[in-house]
Amino acid sequence: MTIGGYWIEAFRVLAANRARTILTALGLVIGVTAVIAIQVLGAGMSGAVNGILGGMSDRTFFVVANVRQADLTRAALRLSDLQRLQAAVPNVVDVLPLGGTRVRAQYGHLTPRLTLGPRADKRFATSTPVRYGRKIDADDVAQGRHVCVLSDAGYDKLGLSGDPTGTSIRVGEYRYTIVGVLGKSSAGVLPTITEYQVGIPYPVYNAEYVRGHAILAANVLLDDQRQIKPTETAVLAWLHAFKGERLRYQTFDRATFSAAVDGIFAGVTLVVALIGAVSLLVAGIGILNIMLVSVAERTREIGLRKAIGATRFQVMLQFFIEALALSGFGCLVGLVLGVAIGALVDDLAIVKLSGVVAPIPWLRSIAIATGFATVVTLAFGTYPAWRAATLDPIEALRYE
Amino acid sequence: MNDAAVIDVREVTKVYQLGAVRVDALRGVSFKIARGEYVAIMGPSGSGKSTLMNLLGCLDRPTSGRYLLDGVDVSALGDDALANIRLRKLGFVFQGFNLLARTSALRNVGLPLFYAGLGARERDARAAAQLAAVGLADRADHKPSELSGGQQQRVAIARALVNDPAVLLADEPTGNLDSQTSEELMALFGELHAAGRTIIMVTHDEEVARHAKRIVRLRDGRIVSDEPTGPK
Repeated sequence: MTIGGYWIEAFRVLAANRARTILTALGLVIGVTAVIAIQVLGAGMSGAVNGILGGMSDRTFFVVANVRQADLTRAALRLSDLQRLQAAVPNVVDVLPLGGTRVRAQYGHLTPRLTLGPRADKRFATSTPVRYGRKIDADDVAQGRHVCVLSDAGYDKLGLSGDPTGTSIRVGEYRYTIVGVLGKSSAGVLPTITEYQVGIPYPVYNAEYVRGHAILAANVLLDDQRQIKPTETAVLAWLHAFKGERLRYQTFDRATFSAAVDGIFAGVTLVVALIGAVSLLVAGIGILNIMLVSVAERTREIGLRKAIGATRFQVMLQFFIEALALSGFGCLVGLVLGVAIGALVDDLAIVKLSGVVAPIPWLRSIAIATGFATVVTLAFGTYPAWRAATLDPIEALRYE
Repeated sequence: MNDAAVIDVREVTKVYQLGAVRVDALRGVSFKIARGEYVAIMGPSGSGKSTLMNLLGCLDRPTSGRYLLDGVDVSALGDDALANIRLRKLGFVFQGFNLLARTSALRNVGLPLFYAGLGARERDARAAAQLAAVGLADRADHKPSELSGGQQQRVAIARALVNDPAVLLADEPTGNLDSQTSEELMALFGELHAAGRTIIMVTHDEEVARHAKRIVRLRDGRIVSDEPTGPK
């Protein structure tokens, strides 16, 4: 028995009913496209956010007073708390308050409002590249120098051009000497929190801006990055002991962020993939429907085939392969579209915005979509084929 | 002669149960047809001739009795075994031609060979030879819609013969044809008979039946006469 003959016959029938074939396959095209594109985009976005977090130093973590608690005022930290914490918990090099201040800066005739915030020395900085000069170093911190590092946006807002290192600018009530300008950071959530337009050594910031203000979040700097988890536990324990047992604090490090982001994207991807799976199911019902119509239309043909000696298996095979060819066609178009759309959006939107090229699980996405489409076809293509195979040849030949 | 019987029907009955109604389509029919015979089965509607044709064509099984086709008792075979018998031993010609639309004459004729498992090359070669034998060598690539009724029926006959069956079964083969074309078709049947084919033809048309060498007449599920046609 030549299987090829069944395929040729199937393609002839599908080609003869072109409009019907395309419309039926369309459901599968959409389903497969959606499932692949969604997985690619999910992986791309999750990879992008993780890539941005990858810029976060492994030697720092955040400690945050949980804002949803009754006694937030008591939970809020003071500068003196941070100093005690640094002294009390081993492995903590320093603790700097998180969060900047909007201040008016002045350079030449421009007076833009900029975000100004504390910076630790470069061991604890993100991996944002330096465009001019250098980052804040340990000496700047130790000696409380009035120096600053501008972000890319800060540099633009001040209307600077060329290498500005050595230039003195007025920010708020003080003057700072520019020692460096950072390059374009990879966009995302984290740099906008931690990479201020004007970054100054944190002791200077503490003295001039924090003073006695309440601090809700702080950045803990570590000596030994391998001790990050025990140190987080120790910091929380110290805060509970010192500030109050019932107050609530949380810590976040790069791994925590990554896990959270991965969790969110995995959840979103799963939900949307499930919707895609439902659309594949609907497409499968479309195939079932059109195959039943096909069997009904060709009842006489089936009767004839049986009369001249086709066995039930041969008739079943013919219609089954026809369903397979139909869904194979839709699946193939869906694969091409899904990969194309996924690649295009990943390239034009995600990579361009985040600057991170994340590995995309192409094979896995394609395998999942194809696998599901196959299961759907097997499930819904069998029944019409069985119906055709079990027709009574006498009845079928008499069918008008 | 009896030993050479290609069809041997013994006390065959067929009962249909249509809801609460019991229909005795055949009430005990026995006859033999020898290899090379040309037989017409006649009878008014309701006489059981269609039922008999379905049984002879292995499309159905008798309620009781035995049916030996080419020496094989087919009265109790399963569906797939019957399909195989139809494929190897029988060729069908229908009133409505039953050709596959949008399919060339050549491929229509080759269809039984496809189910027999032959490759495309051999199918086409044998189908082309069979088309030539019915005088349609130049119509091989035509689709049924491009052929006249008589030509379509010739294609159907070529399809019926392509597997070299033991028996050619024709069910009202001229029913959809005008008298001129019917005559031409009967001439073709005559040639096939002369060439040694066993032909069984169901018809209600006396004109057509007279071309056969023997007429079996049915009425109410029984054979009422079985005699050779007079010399023409």
